[in-house]
Amino acid sequence: MASALRYEYTVETEDLAKTYVMGPVSVKALDGISVKIRRGEYLSIMGPSGSGKTTFFNMVGGLDRPTRGKVYIDEVDIAKLDAYELAWLRARKIGYIFQTFNLIPVLTAMENVSLPMIFAGVGREERLKRARELLERVGLGNRLDHKPSELSGGQQQRVAIARALANNPVIVLADEPTGNLDLHTGLDIINLLKTLNTEKGVTIITATHDLKMIDVSDRIFWIRDGKLERIETRAQVSARAEE
Amino acid sequence: MKMSKEKQEITFPLSEAISFAVESIRRRFSRALITVISIVLGIAFLSALLTITRIVSALSGGLSQTSQGPPLYQIWMAAIALLVCGVGIINSMLMSVTERYKEIGTLKTLGAEEIHILELFLIEGALMGLIGGIVGAFGGWLVAFIMYYVQSSSPQLVLQASLSSIDIVGISIVLSVILSLVSSMVPAYMASKLNPVEALRYEV
Repeated sequence: MASALRYEYTVETEDLAKTYVMGPVSVKALDGISVKIRRGEYLSIMGPSGSGKTTFFNMVGGLDRPTRGKVYIDEVDIAKLDAYELAWLRARKIGYIFQTFNLIPVLTAMENVSLPMIFAGVGREERLKRARELLERVGLGNRLDHKPSELSGGQQQRVAIARALANNPVIVLADEPTGNLDLHTGLDIINLLKTLNTEKGVTIITATHDLKMIDVSDRIFWIRDGKLERIETRAQVSARAEE
Repeated sequence: MKMSKEKQEITFPLSEAISFAVESIRRRFSRALITVISIVLGIAFLSALLTITRIVSALSGGLSQTSQGPPLYQIWMAAIALLVCGVGIINSMLMSVTERYKEIGTLKTLGAEEIHILELFLIEGALMGLIGGIVGAFGGWLVAFIMYYVQSSSPQLVLQASLSSIDIVGISIVLSVILSLVSSMVPAYMASKLNPVEALRYEV
C-alpha cells in the first residue's frame, strides 16, 4: 500500500553537510556524510549531544535543506521537490516520532492519529477504523478518546508511534524517542518499535544516545562532530563490549 | 517523477479545518473570550451609534431623514473603537501563534502545507469575529433602543425606528467578520511561513 515499488535502499545520502551561520561564526553541524540505509532496516544513529544526530534526522526527513550534498528517499532527490511534493513526502512516505511527543493538545488520541490521514485524503470511515486499529496495536485500545494531557509520557509516545504509522510510511524517523521516558517505559517503546519494524517491514531510523537501542538495531552509525565515525552491526558492538 | 505513480492529493477539507479551529478555541477558551469581548465592545459601540442616529432623526420628525447621518466626531469615535478592536485581535492571534509554534511545526511534519496553516488561523479569527459580531451588534442595538424607549415621550416612534434599523445589526456583523479576518492575516501568514525545524525547536 505504501509503495508497490521496491528499492533496495530507502535512504541514501551523498556527502551530506549542513553549516549554520551565526553571525561571524559558522558551525559545521554535519560534515560530509555518505550512507545507504536498506529497506526494512532498524538503524540507530548514536553520538554525543551536539554531534549532528538531530541535524541528520532533519535532513533525511526533508524538514531542513542541506548546505551541500544530497538526500535520496526511494531514489528521489528530495532537494528537487517543490513545497507541495515535500508536504506529500512528509505525509505519506515518512512518519516522525519526537522526544517531546508533539501531539496536538486539543485533539484526542483518535484525532491525533487520524490527522495525517486527513492530509493524505483518506475518507472519514476508513480513517477512524485505521486509527482505532493502530491505537489498539500499540496497546491503547482503552484510551481512544483521551487528550494528550490525560495520558502518561509512555502512552503519549505510543500515540505518536501510531500517528507516525498512520499512512503506512516507508520510513519512521525517531529523534530521541526514549529521551523523556523512564528506563522501563523507554524499553517498552524500543520493543514496540522493533516489533513494528519486523511486522510491517518499515525502515526505522532513530537518533539517540540511549544504549538500550543497540540491542534491537541492525546497524549503528556512530557520529561525532558532524562526521561518520564508524558503522557497526549489532554483533560487532556486542563483540566489542565483551572484550 | 517516480512518486507520481502512487500520487494522491494532499488535502485539508474545510469541514475538518473548521472543527479543528473550533476545538482550538474551546481549549483556549479564556484567551478566546478576551478577544471576543474586545470585539463585542467595539462592535456594540458602532451598532449603538448608528442606531441612535436613526432614532434621533426619526424623533425629530423625519425632517432630517435625508440628512447626513452621524456627525463627524461620532464617526471618529466609532473608527477608533474599531481600530482598538483590530489591534486587540492582532495581539491575541500573535500570542496564539507563538504559543503554538510546536503545534504548527508538527502539523507541517504531518504533511500540512502553508495554505492549510493559513486557513486554520483565518477560520479561527473569522469565527471569533462572527461570535463577537453577533453579540456586539445585537447588544449595541438593544442598548440604544432601550435607552431611548424608556425616556422618550413617543416610545412607539422609537420602537418603529429601532425595528427599521435592524439592518445595522447585519452590517455590524459583516464588518466584525471582515475586521477579524483582516486582523488575523498577519499572524496567520507568519504561522504559515514557519520553518518546521525552527518551529519544533522552539520552547515556550
